[in-house]
Amino acid sequence: MALLEVKNLVKKFDDKDVLKGINVELSEGQSKVVMGGSGCGKSTMLRCLNLLIQPTSGEIIFKGEDITRPGVDVRKLRQDIGFVFQHFALYRHLTVQDNVTLGLRKLKKMSANDATEKALYELERVDMVEHRHKYPAQLSGGQKQRVAIVRALAMDPAVLFLDEPTSALDPQMTREVVTVINKLFLDNITMLCVTHDPFLAKYISDSIVFLDKGVVVAEDIAERLFYDHPDPRVRHFFLSVIDHR
Amino acid sequence: MDAFINDLIAYSPQIMAGLKNTVLLMVIMSVTGLIGGVAVFYLTLSRANAVRTWVERYISFFIGTPLLVHLFLMYYGLPQLGVHLSAFTVCIIGFTLNVSAYNARYLMTAYHGLDKTELEAAQAQGFTPPEIFRLIILPQVIRLSVPSLTNQVIQNLKDTSVAFLIQYPDFFAQVQEIASTNFQFFKAYMTAGLVYLVLVSIIVLAARRLEKRLILPGFQT
Repeated sequence: MALLEVKNLVKKFDDKDVLKGINVELSEGQSKVVMGGSGCGKSTMLRCLNLLIQPTSGEIIFKGEDITRPGVDVRKLRQDIGFVFQHFALYRHLTVQDNVTLGLRKLKKMSANDATEKALYELERVDMVEHRHKYPAQLSGGQKQRVAIVRALAMDPAVLFLDEPTSALDPQMTREVVTVINKLFLDNITMLCVTHDPFLAKYISDSIVFLDKGVVVAEDIAERLFYDHPDPRVRHFFLSVIDHR
Repeated sequence: MDAFINDLIAYSPQIMAGLKNTVLLMVIMSVTGLIGGVAVFYLTLSRANAVRTWVERYISFFIGTPLLVHLFLMYYGLPQLGVHLSAFTVCIIGFTLNVSAYNARYLMTAYHGLDKTELEAAQAQGFTPPEIFRLIILPQVIRLSVPSLTNQVIQNLKDTSVAFLIQYPDFFAQVQEIASTNFQFFKAYMTAGLVYLVLVSIIVLAARRLEKRLILPGFQT
């Protein structure tokens, strides 16, 4: 059974249909990337899946339960879904270590010592331990995103959502972050990542879902999707984002 | 000059008592005004339109009308409705309502400068709105508002000088009494001005130390 199953997901803003019946499945240990042009509904879809945005209709089955039904414990659900944002979204009044331990202490009710131990273990995995006493303003973009990933992972979520994790980074920092996410991919962390970046998509995905105007147009492995796909919308998109020389 | 100094010495117990009342009023209203300001600011973030509208009206009323009117209304107006409050109580209530409105406005201004993706991140992590307010919003807006909030404390001190108009025996009331006894108005008010300046300087020094402690990297305003 899939860990996450999205059935006919629709989201309308006023009269504008942003998602027009999305169907996606994600199994445990699987990593999928969602790609598509700007405004195709990728980020909206991701936000619907942890109810940051309320879907208009459709079903989202997470761990066997339809989370769009009333009475769902949203707080508990969100603790089970790690979320990494494009612009890092670190709490800027807290040190790196406190950014990671805040959720552990306040949501998981861990003791300060246990939370610190867990935070240091997770920070070690992304080579950020030495920066643990720094504030976000003292970090580079790549470092901030690594901390944001650790903050999400430290909660031991069932799935990690990443919303354009490299879009706000320069090429060097992008490589830094891709390396970290690739490591998670090799460790079989369940991930759903929205990105424009084919380089990231290729190195962190089992398959890629291609979205166009609020519908899933194609789903395939990177190699088949990137080059010579029969659907002209897919072909046109990847021709524009991949250097084919 | 000697006569004036002799008068100051002779009236020193009264002056010191007035000074104590002034500082007491300033400290109390600064604390209650901060607590009130935080509470009002919290309500401005309410999802309920009606709450936000009423809070905005409250802020506009107290910022848009003179403090003295509020004090007179409560001290001289309310007795006509059968409500009798002491000068001290009127001062505490009046100043708190007034200062809370200003502090709430400072905090709101700082809130508009926050990175809202942090709030979305906290929401995505599973924090509830009150937790997000307490753990993410408040520590940041307080830090960003430190200069405005400490300026308000200075304003609070200076505003205590209107309390004598509703019979509160503050420092300025005592100076006024000495001046009307010996008719040395210039010297009396100069002395009052110097004392206020010393008190303000103490607050400024304390505020700078507080700012140094509270301001973190990325929070320079």
